[in-house]
Amino acid sequence: MSISTPGGEQRRPTVVSTGKKPAAGRPASGAKAGSGKPAGTPRAGGGGKGPRKPITPVKVSQGRAKGPIILFVVVGLVAAGIIGVGAWAAFQGSKPWEERADAIDGIVNYREKDPELVKGSNHQPGKVNYTILPPVAGPHNQSWQNCMGDVYDAPIANEHAVHSLEHGAIWVTYRPDLAADQVSKLADKVRGNEKMLMSPFDGLDKPISLQAWGYQLKVDNADDSRIDEFIKTLRVNASIEGPTALCNQGITATGTTPRDGVQMPTQ
Amino acid sequence: MTAPATLDSTPDTSATDDGGRGNGRRLGLVAGAVAVVLALLLGYAGGLLTPRLTRPGDDSVEAGFARDMTAHHAQAVEMGLMAFQRATDPEVRSMGGDIATGQQGEIGTMQTWLRSWGLDPTGSQPRMAWMADGAGLVKNGLMPGMATPEEMAKLRDAQGREFDLLFLTMMINHHLGGIHMIDGVLDESDEPDVVRTAQIMKNTQQTDLTNLTNAKKRLGG
Repeated sequence: MSISTPGGEQRRPTVVSTGKKPAAGRPASGAKAGSGKPAGTPRAGGGGKGPRKPITPVKVSQGRAKGPIILFVVVGLVAAGIIGVGAWAAFQGSKPWEERADAIDGIVNYREKDPELVKGSNHQPGKVNYTILPPVAGPHNQSWQNCMGDVYDAPIANEHAVHSLEHGAIWVTYRPDLAADQVSKLADKVRGNEKMLMSPFDGLDKPISLQAWGYQLKVDNADDSRIDEFIKTLRVNASIEGPTALCNQGITATGTTPRDGVQMPTQ
Repeated sequence: MTAPATLDSTPDTSATDDGGRGNGRRLGLVAGAVAVVLALLLGYAGGLLTPRLTRPGDDSVEAGFARDMTAHHAQAVEMGLMAFQRATDPEVRSMGGDIATGQQGEIGTMQTWLRSWGLDPTGSQPRMAWMADGAGLVKNGLMPGMATPEEMAKLRDAQGREFDLLFLTMMINHHLGGIHMIDGVLDESDEPDVVRTAQIMKNTQQTDLTNLTNAKKRLGG
Protein backbone atom coordinates (compact mmCIF):
# COMPACT_ATOMS: atom_id res chain seq x y z
CA MET A 1 0.00 0.00 0.00
CA SER A 2 2.64 2.48 1.03
CA ILE A 3 4.69 1.66 -2.02
CA SER A 4 1.85 2.45 -4.41
CA THR A 5 1.46 5.91 -2.87
CA PRO A 6 4.95 7.24 -2.33
CA GLY A 7 4.05 10.94 -2.20
CA GLY A 8 0.92 11.22 -0.04
CA GLU A 9 0.65 10.95 3.77
CA GLN A 10 -3.04 10.29 3.56
CA ARG A 11 -4.34 6.82 3.10
CA ARG A 12 -7.48 7.65 1.23
CA PRO A 13 -5.94 7.78 -2.22
CA THR A 14 -4.63 4.26 -1.77
CA VAL A 15 -8.10 3.07 -0.78
CA VAL A 16 -9.54 4.71 -3.85
CA SER A 17 -6.86 3.23 -6.05
CA THR A 18 -7.57 -0.29 -4.76
CA GLY A 19 -11.22 0.46 -5.36
CA LYS A 20 -10.33 1.29 -8.94
CA LYS A 21 -8.76 -2.04 -9.63
CA PRO A 22 -11.90 -4.15 -9.41
CA ALA A 23 -13.70 -1.32 -11.15
CA ALA A 24 -11.20 -1.55 -13.98
CA GLY A 25 -12.62 -4.95 -14.68
CA ARG A 26 -15.86 -3.24 -15.61
CA PRO A 27 -15.21 -2.99 -19.31
CA ALA A 28 -15.28 -6.75 -19.45
CA SER A 29 -18.65 -6.96 -17.72
CA GLY A 30 -19.87 -4.11 -19.84
CA ALA A 31 -18.81 -6.03 -22.93
CA LYS A 32 -20.72 -9.06 -21.70
CA ALA A 33 -23.85 -7.06 -21.18
CA GLY A 34 -23.33 -5.47 -24.58
CA SER A 35 -23.04 -8.78 -26.37
CA GLY A 36 -26.10 -10.12 -24.62
CA LYS A 37 -28.36 -7.10 -24.97
CA PRO A 38 -28.15 -4.98 -28.07
CA ALA A 39 -30.47 -2.41 -26.45
CA GLY A 40 -28.06 -1.77 -23.63
CA THR A 41 -25.09 -1.12 -25.92
CA PRO A 42 -25.11 2.68 -25.88
CA ARG A 43 -24.32 2.85 -22.16
CA ALA A 44 -22.26 -0.26 -21.71
CA GLY A 45 -20.40 0.35 -24.96
CA GLY A 46 -19.49 3.85 -23.89
CA GLY A 47 -18.17 2.61 -20.57
CA GLY A 48 -16.38 -0.27 -22.19
CA LYS A 49 -14.54 1.82 -24.73
CA GLY A 50 -13.25 4.27 -22.20
CA PRO A 51 -11.30 2.35 -19.57
CA ARG A 52 -9.05 5.37 -19.00
CA LYS A 53 -11.86 7.49 -17.56
CA PRO A 54 -11.51 7.38 -13.76
CA ILE A 55 -14.75 9.22 -12.92
CA THR A 56 -17.22 6.33 -12.75
CA PRO A 57 -15.09 3.94 -10.61
CA VAL A 58 -14.89 6.51 -7.80
CA LYS A 59 -18.69 6.47 -7.41
CA VAL A 60 -18.71 2.68 -7.20
CA SER A 61 -16.45 2.70 -4.15
CA GLN A 62 -19.25 4.28 -2.11
CA GLY A 63 -21.64 1.34 -2.61
CA ARG A 64 -18.85 -1.03 -1.66
CA ALA A 65 -19.90 -1.09 2.01
CA LYS A 66 -23.51 -2.20 1.49
CA GLY A 67 -23.13 -4.63 -1.41
CA PRO A 68 -21.06 -7.36 0.26
CA ILE A 69 -23.05 -7.14 3.50
CA ILE A 70 -26.35 -7.63 1.69
CA LEU A 71 -24.83 -10.41 -0.37
CA PHE A 72 -23.40 -12.05 2.75
CA VAL A 73 -26.70 -11.80 4.61
CA VAL A 74 -28.68 -13.19 1.67
CA VAL A 75 -26.28 -16.05 1.02
CA GLY A 76 -26.05 -16.74 4.75
CA LEU A 77 -29.82 -16.84 5.17
CA VAL A 78 -30.27 -19.10 2.15
CA ALA A 79 -27.52 -21.45 3.37
CA ALA A 80 -28.91 -21.46 6.91
CA GLY A 81 -32.38 -22.12 5.51
CA ILE A 82 -31.26 -25.06 3.40
CA ILE A 83 -29.26 -26.54 6.25
CA GLY A 84 -32.08 -25.91 8.73
CA VAL A 85 -34.66 -27.66 6.58
CA GLY A 86 -32.26 -30.53 5.94
CA ALA A 87 -31.47 -30.84 9.62
CA TRP A 88 -35.16 -30.83 10.54
CA ALA A 89 -35.96 -33.49 7.96
CA ALA A 90 -33.03 -35.64 9.07
CA PHE A 91 -34.03 -35.21 12.70
CA GLN A 92 -37.64 -36.18 12.07
CA GLY A 93 -36.61 -39.19 10.00
CA SER A 94 -34.17 -40.45 12.57
CA LYS A 95 -36.49 -40.29 15.57
CA PRO A 96 -35.72 -43.36 17.66
CA TRP A 97 -38.19 -46.22 17.17
CA GLU A 98 -39.19 -46.05 20.86
CA GLU A 99 -40.58 -42.55 20.33
CA ARG A 100 -42.37 -43.57 17.15
CA ALA A 101 -43.83 -46.60 18.95
CA ASP A 102 -45.20 -44.47 21.77
CA ALA A 103 -46.83 -42.23 19.16
CA ILE A 104 -48.99 -45.13 17.88
CA ASP A 105 -52.50 -44.56 19.15
CA GLY A 106 -53.65 -47.27 21.56
CA ILE A 107 -50.28 -49.07 21.93
CA VAL A 108 -49.50 -50.47 25.37
CA ASN A 109 -45.86 -50.14 26.35
CA TYR A 110 -45.01 -52.85 28.90
CA ARG A 111 -41.37 -51.79 28.93
CA GLU A 112 -42.64 -48.86 30.95
CA LYS A 113 -45.57 -50.56 32.70
CA ASP A 114 -43.72 -53.71 33.75
CA PRO A 115 -39.97 -53.35 33.21
CA GLU A 116 -39.20 -56.43 35.30
CA LEU A 117 -41.30 -58.69 33.05
CA VAL A 118 -39.81 -57.28 29.86
CA LYS A 119 -36.28 -57.60 31.20
CA GLY A 120 -36.63 -61.28 32.16
CA SER A 121 -36.03 -63.68 29.33
CA ASN A 122 -34.77 -66.90 30.90
CA HIS A 123 -35.68 -70.34 29.58
CA GLN A 124 -38.23 -72.17 31.70
CA PRO A 125 -39.50 -75.66 30.91
CA GLY A 126 -43.17 -76.61 30.77
CA LYS A 127 -46.19 -74.44 31.24
CA VAL A 128 -45.65 -70.75 32.05
CA ASN A 129 -48.36 -68.54 33.54
CA TYR A 130 -48.62 -65.22 31.75
CA THR A 131 -50.69 -62.45 33.30
CA ILE A 132 -50.94 -60.45 30.07
CA LEU A 133 -52.71 -62.30 27.27
CA PRO A 134 -51.63 -62.75 24.59
CA PRO A 135 -48.25 -62.60 26.32
CA VAL A 136 -45.75 -59.90 25.34
CA ALA A 137 -42.65 -60.93 27.29
CA GLY A 138 -41.36 -63.05 30.14
CA PRO A 139 -39.85 -66.48 30.66
CA HIS A 140 -40.40 -69.03 27.91
CA ASN A 141 -39.50 -72.49 26.65
CA GLN A 142 -36.08 -73.05 25.10
CA SER A 143 -37.67 -73.74 21.70
CA TRP A 144 -39.15 -70.85 19.79
CA GLN A 145 -42.04 -71.01 17.41
CA ASN A 146 -40.88 -70.84 13.79
CA CYS A 147 -41.39 -67.21 12.76
CA MET A 148 -40.37 -67.22 9.11
CA GLY A 149 -43.62 -65.62 8.00
CA ASP A 150 -45.43 -68.70 9.24
CA VAL A 151 -49.22 -68.47 9.16
CA TYR A 152 -50.60 -71.01 11.65
CA ASP A 153 -54.24 -72.01 11.24
CA ALA A 154 -54.62 -73.16 14.86
CA PRO A 155 -53.56 -71.76 18.24
CA ILE A 156 -49.90 -72.20 19.23
CA ALA A 157 -48.14 -72.41 22.59
CA ASN A 158 -47.46 -69.08 24.32
CA GLU A 159 -44.26 -70.54 25.73
CA HIS A 160 -42.77 -70.80 22.21
CA ALA A 161 -44.34 -67.65 20.76
CA VAL A 162 -42.87 -65.48 23.53
CA HIS A 163 -39.44 -66.83 22.61
CA SER A 164 -40.11 -65.71 19.02
CA LEU A 165 -40.98 -62.23 20.31
CA GLU A 166 -37.67 -62.16 22.13
CA HIS A 167 -35.96 -62.82 18.78
CA GLY A 168 -37.64 -59.77 17.26
CA ALA A 169 -40.76 -61.28 15.72
CA ILE A 170 -44.16 -59.64 15.47
CA TRP A 171 -46.88 -62.08 16.53
CA VAL A 172 -50.23 -61.36 14.92
CA THR A 173 -53.14 -62.96 16.78
CA TYR A 174 -56.82 -62.86 15.95
CA ARG A 175 -60.06 -64.04 17.49
CA PRO A 176 -61.05 -67.39 15.91
CA ASP A 177 -64.38 -65.90 14.79
CA LEU A 178 -62.69 -63.19 12.67
CA ALA A 179 -64.11 -63.08 9.12
CA ALA A 180 -62.13 -65.05 6.54
CA ASP A 181 -61.37 -61.99 4.36
CA GLN A 182 -59.98 -60.20 7.43
CA VAL A 183 -57.82 -63.21 8.26
CA SER A 184 -56.46 -63.35 4.71
CA LYS A 185 -55.62 -59.62 4.83
CA LEU A 186 -53.60 -60.25 7.97
CA ALA A 187 -51.95 -63.31 6.41
CA ASP A 188 -50.80 -61.17 3.44
CA LYS A 189 -48.82 -59.02 5.86
CA VAL A 190 -47.14 -62.07 7.37
CA ARG A 191 -46.55 -64.67 4.65
CA GLY A 192 -43.01 -64.67 3.25
CA ASN A 193 -41.79 -62.16 5.83
CA GLU A 194 -39.33 -63.55 8.32
CA LYS A 195 -39.61 -62.25 11.90
CA MET A 196 -43.40 -62.52 11.55
CA LEU A 197 -45.87 -65.17 12.67
CA MET A 198 -49.61 -65.38 12.97
CA SER A 199 -52.10 -67.58 14.76
CA PRO A 200 -55.66 -67.54 16.10
CA PHE A 201 -55.93 -66.89 19.85
CA ASP A 202 -58.84 -67.97 22.01
CA GLY A 203 -60.51 -65.49 24.35
CA LEU A 204 -59.28 -62.23 22.82
CA ASP A 205 -61.27 -59.18 23.93
CA LYS A 206 -60.66 -57.52 20.53
CA PRO A 207 -60.74 -59.06 17.03
CA ILE A 208 -57.00 -58.54 16.44
CA SER A 209 -54.05 -58.23 18.79
CA LEU A 210 -50.44 -57.54 17.76
CA GLN A 211 -47.49 -58.43 19.97
CA ALA A 212 -43.84 -57.40 19.90
CA TRP A 213 -41.42 -57.91 22.79
CA GLY A 214 -42.83 -55.57 25.46
CA TYR A 215 -45.54 -54.02 23.26
CA GLN A 216 -49.15 -54.76 22.42
CA LEU A 217 -51.74 -53.16 20.17
CA LYS A 218 -55.34 -54.30 19.88
CA VAL A 219 -57.45 -53.25 16.89
CA ASP A 220 -60.88 -54.06 15.48
CA ASN A 221 -60.13 -54.25 11.78
CA ALA A 222 -57.43 -55.70 9.51
CA ASP A 223 -57.56 -52.47 7.45
CA ASP A 224 -56.44 -50.39 10.42
CA SER A 225 -53.33 -48.47 9.33
CA ARG A 226 -51.82 -48.82 12.79
CA ILE A 227 -51.12 -52.50 12.02
CA ASP A 228 -48.51 -51.59 9.39
CA GLU A 229 -47.19 -48.84 11.64
CA PHE A 230 -46.75 -51.30 14.51
CA ILE A 231 -44.97 -53.80 12.26
CA LYS A 232 -42.66 -51.22 10.65
CA THR A 233 -41.73 -49.64 13.95
CA LEU A 234 -41.29 -52.72 16.12
CA ARG A 235 -40.37 -55.69 13.91
CA VAL A 236 -36.75 -56.58 14.82
CA ASN A 237 -36.34 -53.18 16.55
CA ALA A 238 -38.16 -54.37 19.68
CA SER A 239 -35.96 -57.46 19.89
CA ILE A 240 -33.57 -57.53 22.78
CA GLU A 241 -31.32 -59.90 20.81
CA GLY A 242 -30.85 -58.02 17.54
CA PRO A 243 -31.49 -58.71 13.88
CA THR A 244 -29.53 -61.95 13.59
CA ALA A 245 -31.48 -63.91 16.21
CA LEU A 246 -32.97 -66.91 14.41
CA CYS A 247 -36.61 -67.35 13.49
CA ASN A 248 -35.99 -70.66 11.70
CA GLN A 249 -35.20 -74.03 13.36
CA GLY A 250 -38.21 -73.46 15.59
CA ILE A 251 -41.37 -75.38 16.37
CA THR A 252 -43.57 -75.58 13.29
CA ALA A 253 -46.42 -77.55 14.88
CA THR A 254 -49.57 -75.98 16.30
CA GLY A 255 -51.17 -76.77 19.66
CA THR A 256 -51.11 -74.81 22.90
CA THR A 257 -49.23 -77.40 24.94
CA PRO A 258 -45.59 -76.33 25.28
CA ARG A 259 -43.13 -78.81 23.82
CA ASP A 260 -40.15 -78.03 25.99
CA GLY A 261 -37.44 -80.64 25.78
CA VAL A 262 -38.52 -81.86 22.37
CA GLN A 263 -35.67 -81.75 19.88
CA MET A 264 -35.95 -78.82 17.45
CA PRO A 265 -37.39 -78.82 14.92
CA THR A 266 -40.48 -80.80 15.69
CA GLN A 267 -42.31 -82.28 12.71
CA MET B 1 10.42 3.72 12.42
CA THR B 2 9.59 7.20 11.19
CA ALA B 3 5.89 6.83 11.83
CA PRO B 4 6.02 7.30 15.63
CA ALA B 5 7.88 10.54 15.17
CA THR B 6 5.21 12.04 12.91
CA LEU B 7 2.46 10.92 15.29
CA ASP B 8 4.21 12.70 18.18
CA SER B 9 4.56 15.91 16.22
CA THR B 10 0.81 16.25 15.63
CA PRO B 11 -0.82 14.76 18.72
CA ASP B 12 -4.36 16.18 18.66
CA THR B 13 -5.64 15.76 15.13
CA SER B 14 -3.96 12.48 14.34
CA ALA B 15 -5.16 10.93 17.60
CA THR B 16 -8.83 11.70 16.93
CA ASP B 17 -8.45 10.72 13.32
CA ASP B 18 -6.85 7.41 14.16
CA GLY B 19 -9.37 6.75 16.93
CA GLY B 20 -12.34 7.12 14.60
CA ARG B 21 -10.74 5.03 11.93
CA GLY B 22 -9.60 2.50 14.56
CA ASN B 23 -13.19 1.98 15.75
CA GLY B 24 -14.33 1.43 12.21
CA ARG B 25 -11.56 -1.01 11.63
CA ARG B 26 -12.27 -2.81 14.88
CA LEU B 27 -15.91 -3.12 13.89
CA GLY B 28 -14.79 -4.45 10.54
CA LEU B 29 -12.52 -6.94 12.23
CA VAL B 30 -15.31 -8.12 14.52
CA ALA B 31 -17.70 -8.40 11.60
CA GLY B 32 -15.05 -10.29 9.67
CA ALA B 33 -14.40 -12.62 12.59
CA VAL B 34 -18.12 -13.25 13.04
CA ALA B 35 -18.43 -13.91 9.34
CA VAL B 36 -15.55 -16.39 9.43
CA VAL B 37 -17.01 -18.15 12.48
CA LEU B 38 -20.45 -18.28 10.86
CA ALA B 39 -18.97 -19.59 7.64
CA LEU B 40 -17.05 -22.26 9.55
CA LEU B 41 -20.18 -23.26 11.48
CA LEU B 42 -22.22 -23.43 8.29
CA GLY B 43 -19.51 -25.51 6.65
CA TYR B 44 -19.36 -27.78 9.68
CA ALA B 45 -23.15 -28.21 9.76
CA GLY B 46 -23.15 -28.84 6.03
CA GLY B 47 -20.40 -31.39 6.39
CA LEU B 48 -22.28 -33.13 9.18
CA LEU B 49 -25.53 -33.15 7.25
CA THR B 50 -24.27 -34.08 3.80
CA PRO B 51 -23.73 -37.79 4.56
CA ARG B 52 -27.15 -37.87 6.24
CA LEU B 53 -28.88 -36.29 3.30
CA THR B 54 -27.05 -38.31 0.65
CA ARG B 55 -27.27 -41.72 2.33
CA PRO B 56 -29.90 -44.17 0.99
CA GLY B 57 -33.43 -43.27 2.06
CA ASP B 58 -36.35 -45.39 3.23
CA ASP B 59 -37.62 -46.10 -0.31
CA SER B 60 -34.19 -46.43 -1.95
CA VAL B 61 -33.00 -49.36 -4.06
CA GLU B 62 -30.32 -50.06 -1.47
CA ALA B 63 -32.69 -50.18 1.50
CA GLY B 64 -35.14 -52.34 -0.46
CA PHE B 65 -32.38 -54.73 -1.42
CA ALA B 66 -31.05 -54.92 2.16
CA ARG B 67 -34.50 -55.71 3.57
CA ASP B 68 -35.62 -58.14 0.88
CA MET B 69 -32.32 -59.96 0.60
CA THR B 70 -32.34 -60.38 4.39
CA ALA B 71 -35.69 -62.20 4.14
CA HIS B 72 -34.46 -64.19 1.13
CA HIS B 73 -31.23 -65.13 2.89
CA ALA B 74 -33.09 -66.10 6.07
CA GLN B 75 -34.81 -68.93 4.22
CA ALA B 76 -31.49 -70.13 2.79
CA VAL B 77 -30.16 -70.18 6.36
CA GLU B 78 -33.18 -72.25 7.38
CA MET B 79 -32.56 -74.81 4.62
CA GLY B 80 -28.78 -74.74 5.07
CA LEU B 81 -29.00 -75.48 8.79
CA MET B 82 -31.39 -78.34 8.10
CA ALA B 83 -28.88 -79.80 5.64
CA PHE B 84 -26.03 -79.28 8.08
CA GLN B 85 -27.99 -81.17 10.71
CA ARG B 86 -29.70 -83.87 8.66
CA ALA B 87 -28.05 -84.48 5.27
CA THR B 88 -26.58 -87.93 4.68
CA ASP B 89 -23.96 -86.96 2.13
CA PRO B 90 -20.91 -85.27 3.73
CA GLU B 91 -20.55 -82.72 0.93
CA VAL B 92 -24.23 -81.73 1.14
CA ARG B 93 -23.85 -81.40 4.91
CA SER B 94 -20.82 -79.14 4.64
CA MET B 95 -22.35 -77.04 1.87
CA GLY B 96 -25.44 -76.57 4.04
CA GLY B 97 -23.32 -75.30 6.92
CA ASP B 98 -21.29 -73.09 4.62
CA ILE B 99 -24.35 -71.50 3.02
CA ALA B 100 -26.12 -71.02 6.37
CA THR B 101 -23.21 -69.33 8.15
CA GLY B 102 -22.21 -67.32 5.06
CA GLN B 103 -25.67 -65.94 4.45
CA GLN B 104 -26.34 -65.30 8.14
CA GLY B 105 -23.16 -63.22 8.13
CA GLU B 106 -24.40 -61.29 5.11
CA ILE B 107 -27.71 -60.66 6.91
CA GLY B 108 -25.66 -58.98 9.63
CA THR B 109 -23.91 -56.80 7.04
CA MET B 110 -27.19 -55.74 5.42
CA GLN B 111 -28.88 -55.03 8.76
CA THR B 112 -25.89 -52.92 9.77
CA TRP B 113 -26.30 -50.85 6.60
CA LEU B 114 -29.91 -50.15 7.50
CA ARG B 115 -29.00 -49.16 11.02
CA SER B 116 -26.19 -46.87 9.85
CA TRP B 117 -28.58 -45.25 7.37
CA GLY B 118 -31.01 -44.62 10.25
CA LEU B 119 -33.63 -46.93 8.71
CA ASP B 120 -35.92 -49.60 10.13
CA PRO B 121 -35.43 -53.28 9.22
CA THR B 122 -39.01 -53.07 7.87
CA GLY B 123 -39.87 -50.92 4.86
CA SER B 124 -43.14 -49.30 3.88
CA GLN B 125 -42.94 -50.45 0.25
CA PRO B 126 -44.11 -53.88 -0.94
CA ARG B 127 -41.48 -56.58 -1.36
CA MET B 128 -39.31 -56.16 -4.49
CA ALA B 129 -40.73 -52.69 -5.25
CA TRP B 130 -37.17 -51.38 -5.43
CA MET B 131 -36.44 -53.53 -8.50
CA ALA B 132 -37.74 -52.68 -11.97
CA ASP B 133 -40.79 -54.92 -12.54
CA GLY B 134 -39.90 -56.54 -9.22
CA ALA B 135 -43.33 -56.50 -7.58
CA GLY B 136 -44.66 -58.82 -10.29
CA LEU B 137 -42.08 -61.44 -9.33
CA VAL B 138 -43.57 -61.86 -5.84
CA LYS B 139 -45.91 -64.83 -5.58
CA ASN B 140 -47.90 -65.37 -2.40
CA GLY B 141 -45.52 -63.08 -0.58
CA LEU B 142 -42.52 -65.09 -1.76
CA MET B 143 -39.61 -63.55 -3.66
CA PRO B 144 -37.92 -65.31 -6.62
CA GLY B 145 -36.52 -68.73 -5.78
CA MET B 146 -38.09 -68.93 -2.33
CA ALA B 147 -39.69 -72.19 -1.26
CA THR B 148 -43.39 -72.28 -0.41
CA PRO B 149 -44.52 -73.29 3.09
CA GLU B 150 -45.60 -76.64 1.56
CA GLU B 151 -42.14 -77.23 0.05
CA MET B 152 -40.51 -76.37 3.38
CA ALA B 153 -42.82 -78.83 5.16
CA LYS B 154 -41.89 -81.48 2.60
CA LEU B 155 -38.19 -80.85 3.23
CA ARG B 156 -38.76 -81.16 7.00
CA ASP B 157 -40.41 -84.52 6.48
CA ALA B 158 -37.88 -85.89 3.97
CA GLN B 159 -35.26 -88.43 5.05
CA GLY B 160 -31.96 -89.84 3.74
CA ARG B 161 -31.04 -89.48 0.08
CA GLU B 162 -34.49 -88.01 -0.64
CA PHE B 163 -33.73 -85.18 1.77
CA ASP B 164 -30.31 -84.53 0.20
CA LEU B 165 -31.73 -84.32 -3.31
CA LEU B 166 -34.69 -82.18 -2.26
CA PHE B 167 -32.36 -79.80 -0.45
CA LEU B 168 -30.07 -79.54 -3.50
CA THR B 169 -33.01 -78.84 -5.82
CA MET B 170 -34.52 -76.23 -3.51
CA MET B 171 -31.20 -74.50 -2.85
CA ILE B 172 -30.40 -74.36 -6.58
CA ASN B 173 -33.75 -72.61 -7.19
CA HIS B 174 -33.15 -70.36 -4.21
CA HIS B 175 -29.74 -69.26 -5.49
CA LEU B 176 -31.06 -68.67 -9.03
CA GLY B 177 -33.72 -66.33 -7.61
CA GLY B 178 -31.17 -64.70 -5.33
CA ILE B 179 -28.78 -63.99 -8.20
CA HIS B 180 -31.65 -62.39 -10.13
CA MET B 181 -32.23 -59.99 -7.22
CA ILE B 182 -28.49 -59.33 -6.86
CA ASP B 183 -28.35 -58.42 -10.57
CA GLY B 184 -31.20 -56.00 -9.86
CA VAL B 185 -29.18 -54.08 -7.27
CA LEU B 186 -25.98 -54.26 -9.35
CA ASP B 187 -27.90 -52.62 -12.23
CA GLU B 188 -29.50 -49.89 -10.19
CA SER B 189 -27.17 -48.95 -7.32
CA ASP B 190 -23.90 -47.02 -7.27
CA GLU B 191 -23.43 -47.17 -3.49
CA PRO B 192 -19.87 -48.57 -3.37
CA ASP B 193 -20.21 -50.86 -0.34
CA VAL B 194 -23.56 -52.21 -1.50
CA VAL B 195 -22.26 -52.92 -5.01
CA ARG B 196 -19.10 -54.57 -3.66
CA THR B 197 -21.01 -56.77 -1.20
CA ALA B 198 -23.63 -57.68 -3.81
CA GLN B 199 -20.87 -58.72 -6.22
CA ILE B 200 -19.33 -60.96 -3.56
CA MET B 201 -22.76 -62.50 -2.89
CA LYS B 202 -23.14 -63.21 -6.59
CA ASN B 203 -19.67 -64.77 -6.88
CA THR B 204 -20.37 -67.02 -3.88
CA GLN B 205 -23.78 -68.12 -5.08
CA GLN B 206 -22.51 -68.84 -8.58
CA THR B 207 -19.75 -71.04 -7.19
CA ASP B 208 -22.32 -72.69 -4.92
CA LEU B 209 -24.56 -73.33 -7.92
CA THR B 210 -21.83 -75.26 -9.70
CA ASN B 211 -21.12 -77.38 -6.63
CA LEU B 212 -24.80 -77.93 -5.81
CA THR B 213 -25.51 -78.99 -9.40
CA ASN B 214 -22.52 -81.36 -9.46
CA ALA B 215 -23.54 -82.88 -6.14
CA LYS B 216 -27.05 -83.39 -7.42
CA LYS B 217 -25.68 -85.21 -10.50
CA ARG B 218 -23.37 -87.31 -8.33
CA LEU B 219 -26.30 -88.37 -6.13
CA GLY B 220 -28.27 -89.27 -9.26
CA GLY B 221 -30.86 -86.49 -9.03
